[in-house]
Amino acid sequence: MLYLLVIGPILAGIVSILFKKRDTRLFIVGAQIVQFIYSLIIFIQVRTDGTVFNYMSRLPEGVAITLMADIISSVFVLLTTIIFLMLMLYAFHKDYFTTQFGFLFLVLQGLIISLFFTTDLFNIFVMLEVATVVVAILIMINKEKQAIYDGMIYFFVNVIGTAFLLLGIGMLYRTTGLLDMRAISEALELLDSPRAVILPFAMMMTTLSLKTAVVPLFSWLPKAHGTPSAPPVVSAVLSGLFIKTGVYMFIRFSAMFEPVIQAQELFFIIGFITSIFGFIMALSQNDIKMILAYSTVSQIGLIMIGLNMGSDIAYWGALFHVVSHALFKSTLFLAAGQVYNQYGTRDIRMMRGVLRSMPLTGMAIIFGILGVTGAPMFNGSISKYMISYGSYRPMVQLGLNLINLGTIMYFLKFSTILFGKDNRPEDERPPKEDLLSELLVFIMGGLILLTGVYGPVSMDILFGYQVEVFSTEYFEKGFVYALMIIAAIGLYNGVINKGGLLDRISHVELTFNAVITSMTGFFIFVASYVYFIL
Amino acid sequence: MKPLDFITGEIVGILLFFIGLYGLMTKKTIVKTIMSMSIMESGIFLFYITINFTEGAVPPIGQAQEAAFVDPVPSALMITAIVIGIGVTAIGLTMFMHYKQKHGITHWSRNRNQTGSGH
Repeated sequence: MLYLLVIGPILAGIVSILFKKRDTRLFIVGAQIVQFIYSLIIFIQVRTDGTVFNYMSRLPEGVAITLMADIISSVFVLLTTIIFLMLMLYAFHKDYFTTQFGFLFLVLQGLIISLFFTTDLFNIFVMLEVATVVVAILIMINKEKQAIYDGMIYFFVNVIGTAFLLLGIGMLYRTTGLLDMRAISEALELLDSPRAVILPFAMMMTTLSLKTAVVPLFSWLPKAHGTPSAPPVVSAVLSGLFIKTGVYMFIRFSAMFEPVIQAQELFFIIGFITSIFGFIMALSQNDIKMILAYSTVSQIGLIMIGLNMGSDIAYWGALFHVVSHALFKSTLFLAAGQVYNQYGTRDIRMMRGVLRSMPLTGMAIIFGILGVTGAPMFNGSISKYMISYGSYRPMVQLGLNLINLGTIMYFLKFSTILFGKDNRPEDERPPKEDLLSELLVFIMGGLILLTGVYGPVSMDILFGYQVEVFSTEYFEKGFVYALMIIAAIGLYNGVINKGGLLDRISHVELTFNAVITSMTGFFIFVASYVYFIL
Repeated sequence: MKPLDFITGEIVGILLFFIGLYGLMTKKTIVKTIMSMSIMESGIFLFYITINFTEGAVPPIGQAQEAAFVDPVPSALMITAIVIGIGVTAIGLTMFMHYKQKHGITHWSRNRNQTGSGH
């Protein structure tokens, strides 16, 4: 009965909007709790009995529209329901939590879950298109000038991106006569010439690269995730969860095309470039939300590296990094929301002494930073360790260490808000944030530590993959981490902070037309690359 | 064989798709962006409904006949896609009109103003 998880939140949203004259917040949170329990049941069922299928009609398999919960998708769905529950509780006392906002959030949840479950290509197109509309409305919910501009760019770029997907699906249907991903995978093996799927492959990968925001198609992401006036909950769900739909589809689509086209190496290199570019851009920002948004670009690059390394442990490490990233990035976005609400500015040079004025949020930020930089015993270290374990090539190791050094550097810059003296006058401070949201941020920070300390256990529970992490090598990495912090402090204060280069980089930005042109260029590049390797 | 046999619906559909893409790459006016998007989508619709077109095929309704049946799936998909396309165009136009009336801007600007504060 997987469809209940898809239709449930949407129905709950419709009911809440019918009674919008009353206070519907409790009802919406209640619906989230039910969703969470049901997804937990599905998760346990998948882990004990294997993959669950849900056919939408009595047609034979491969023709009927199918929902499928296997190990990967059940974990993603469980993660979705946990994060949505947390976000709803966080927003409970905020003034932007209206019925309309709750309705949009519930619909978005249904769409994300259905993207994780469905195996039908046309369903994916429909869900992506509707989700684009919902997310665009959520971005510009405050109707500010900048927010509307960012929302429009997000909307048009993504609609054009999904048009590529639709044409790709059409070409694939023309070749195989099927729409179900598993059935297409079987049919592609029987294909006479793999050249017939070059164009659909390039089209679909263009959409996916846009959705996962890899170089050169990442320009929309900082605009959408770092919109100044969007509520922190929206940024958290976009950066923590929604971007993962792209990663998930990348996993499914590469599995679908695997019999004929293997392009792991291309996406491995693209992942590296994305990751390095992401941290350079993050280093050059001063806006607290923009730093976090570019950090997402960098971490997605790391996930792509792990997925395409071609080794088992790195693959599962990348999937665990999806979970870790969802936890620490939503924590950081929520905490950042609390902080800039209190300080009345988003410029990190103006904020000092968060740890003293908001201890719970400050602790959550520390946990988040330790998680994302991969400090020992935090969840980021487990996944980064597994990814780096996948390859012994010196160039790869060097690159991964460089990425981690960059991550530490921009989070050093970020962490300056924690310490120092708070020089706001006493009487100008806004009223304190409500306790529920403070506590929620702290609990999410605690989850980062928890999944890190019990890293191998949570790996086993979530993905059923046994891994020995706490070895001597792991503690050697801890030593390297300490060295890196010292190096990062030196580099940041000595070289980067003084040069004027970063200021110039921070203004590098693509216009709308340039984004579309790079999309077309990427499509031509992928098509010609696949043409040459086949 | 007729001289213009290579101009099938599929080819024209793909051409329309790339004409729309060209418009999106070069035009800075937001209205022209929306129009190019519609052209692109029309190309896709045309591509789908002419997939595996055979001369003289009949609709798959009623009793079995001599002639071949038309594949009904692409048409069914396109009904959905056309509805979505209309919705998307409407939402895009709504956003644009709101933006223009409130802030008087009709073009994609060169730079995003990063003033940092102002929350």
